[in-house]
Amino acid sequence: MSGNSGGPWGGGGNNGSGGGNDDNRGNGGRRPNNDGPNIPEIDDLVNKGREQLRVLMGGGGQGRSGGSGGGGEGPKFTRGTVGLGLLAALVLWLFASFYTVRPEERSVELLLGDFLEVGDPGLNFAPWPVVTREVLAVTTERNIDIGTSRSGLEAGLMLTGDENIVDIDFQVVWNISNPEEYLFNLANPPATIEAVAESAMREIISQSELAPILNRDRGAIADRLSDLIQSTLDSYDSGVNLIRVNFDKADPPEPVIASFRAVQDAEQERDRVQNVADAYANQVVAEARGEAAQILEQAEGYRARVVNEATGEASRFLAVLNEYQQAPEVTRKRLYLETMEGVLGGVEIILLDEGNGEGQGVVPYLPLNELRRNTTGGTN
Amino acid sequence: MRKSAFLLPAIAVVLVSALSSVFIVDEREKALVLQFGQIVKVQEEPGLGFKLPFIQEVVRYDDRILSRDLMPLEVTPSDDRRLVVDAFARYRIADVVRFREAVGSGGEEAAARRLDSILRAETREVLGSVTSNDILSTDRAALMLRIRNSAITEARALGLEVIDVRLKRTDLPPENLNATYERMKAEREREAADERARGNEAAQRIRAQADRTVVELVSEAERESQIIQGEADAQRNQIFAQAFGRDPEFFEFYRSMTAYQRSLRPGNSTMVLSPDNEFFNYLKSDQGQAASQ
Repeated sequence: MSGNSGGPWGGGGNNGSGGGNDDNRGNGGRRPNNDGPNIPEIDDLVNKGREQLRVLMGGGGQGRSGGSGGGGEGPKFTRGTVGLGLLAALVLWLFASFYTVRPEERSVELLLGDFLEVGDPGLNFAPWPVVTREVLAVTTERNIDIGTSRSGLEAGLMLTGDENIVDIDFQVVWNISNPEEYLFNLANPPATIEAVAESAMREIISQSELAPILNRDRGAIADRLSDLIQSTLDSYDSGVNLIRVNFDKADPPEPVIASFRAVQDAEQERDRVQNVADAYANQVVAEARGEAAQILEQAEGYRARVVNEATGEASRFLAVLNEYQQAPEVTRKRLYLETMEGVLGGVEIILLDEGNGEGQGVVPYLPLNELRRNTTGGTN
Repeated sequence: MRKSAFLLPAIAVVLVSALSSVFIVDEREKALVLQFGQIVKVQEEPGLGFKLPFIQEVVRYDDRILSRDLMPLEVTPSDDRRLVVDAFARYRIADVVRFREAVGSGGEEAAARRLDSILRAETREVLGSVTSNDILSTDRAALMLRIRNSAITEARALGLEVIDVRLKRTDLPPENLNATYERMKAEREREAADERARGNEAAQRIRAQADRTVVELVSEAERESQIIQGEADAQRNQIFAQAFGRDPEFFEFYRSMTAYQRSLRPGNSTMVLSPDNEFFNYLKSDQGQAASQ
């Protein structure tokens, strides 16, 4: 019977405690998306009030009739069960009113819809239903990806100042710097951040030329982008802190990327051709240096040979001359005879006595070759 | 029992009336109290509000900054090139009374639609008055400001405060996209051809320089070589002149002897000699020919 009397309370209690903290926290997270969070709350309040009233009336009536000496409704509602019920209600109310805030979170408390305070990590007290609270993860980093890989072809293609098209992917990493502003100033902060980031990127890209975007200006663009996004968000008092911008991709668009690669190939080709030519030059010049050295060495060799030969020949002549001057007649004769001996010793000689004038005319017409054949034939 | 049966509904009625005469305005909201459709009270501050139960109703509006993304829109800048532009606006319901009067019961959705047409018109007007180069330049921020400023006045009639208008896309229409791609390709091809040509040019220059160096080196060496050989010949002549000059007559004799020795080789020469030759001086007599005659 106490179970019976606890029945309605138990039901009400479950609303408060079973759903309890988690349910409320969940509500807190979801609340910014709901446009009219207060209407169900009031309904809730009214329903709960009615329920409470009904039970109190029943309990009080029974208590009185019980006190007056046993009632027709039976012994259901005793003073003890009422006390127990009130105690349970108190516990449930405490459950509903205390909540924890984790280190990465902050809570925002509202007194009847009016901003009251920001709750720090730890145990916090927000007396239900007068004070409501919303818990936000503030230090957690959140990402928004912008570009082709995420939202199809259109979003990442941007027109540059020199009317080229560049394909850009980037990521915005942010967290909440001011939970109060974050909750109350912007209707849809993530969508706003995305729109602002895309707008800022397109603004920067439209003021730049293609070539610097593709290579050297990426760091500078990321810096400018961060500044621009943050200042725009600050102008909305959004309570959002931009941690960083990750520049994932800045490429030429798909249809022309092959041409860009072809340019890189051509650059490589240029280097290659130059290197081949350098190799040729090195080889040929080295060979030429070798050849030049060879020519010079040969010339030096020639000089040495000629001079040495001349010196040797001169010395020999001088030696002979010296000897000749000692005894000119004899030496001269001796040299002549020795030479003739050497010369005539090897040479074939035909000795022809011209006689005394008669046969003189014969010599010029003498068929020497015939003569030679005859002599050899004769010996045979 | 009769008493309590009467009391119970009475208390319930009182309680319900009490609850329906208060309302809570959230930090994110502004509220209007309407009595038979007429505005009787504006509650802009968050907190508790009071109204007459049953005959007055509360209408709530968002007090936060709302966003509106414009559908892509084709504009024609003054140089007649077309651009696809989309923009987004950030605005807030500033004057709830005027807002209610302007929009009626249509609420925020109706207001957003009317804001759309205002923004479209302003965007067209502002971007139509400048060239496309201005849009694609540092003037963009100023243009956004101009759109915003003219939208502010228009939107004020709706009770809206336009906080910011920003352009997102300013792109070429899809049909121009391919032409742009083709142009980009052609530019790259030109660049690639240029690279190749420069490579070949450099290579040819390097080769030519190398060939020239080769010729220079070799000819220099040859020149040196000729000089050296000439010097050597001169030295040789000098040496000979010095040595042979001591007795030219003997040199002639001596050199002739050497020449005979070298030129008359066994096998290649046949000599027809007369016994009168000096060499045969003693061939016929021991007194010599001169003596015998």
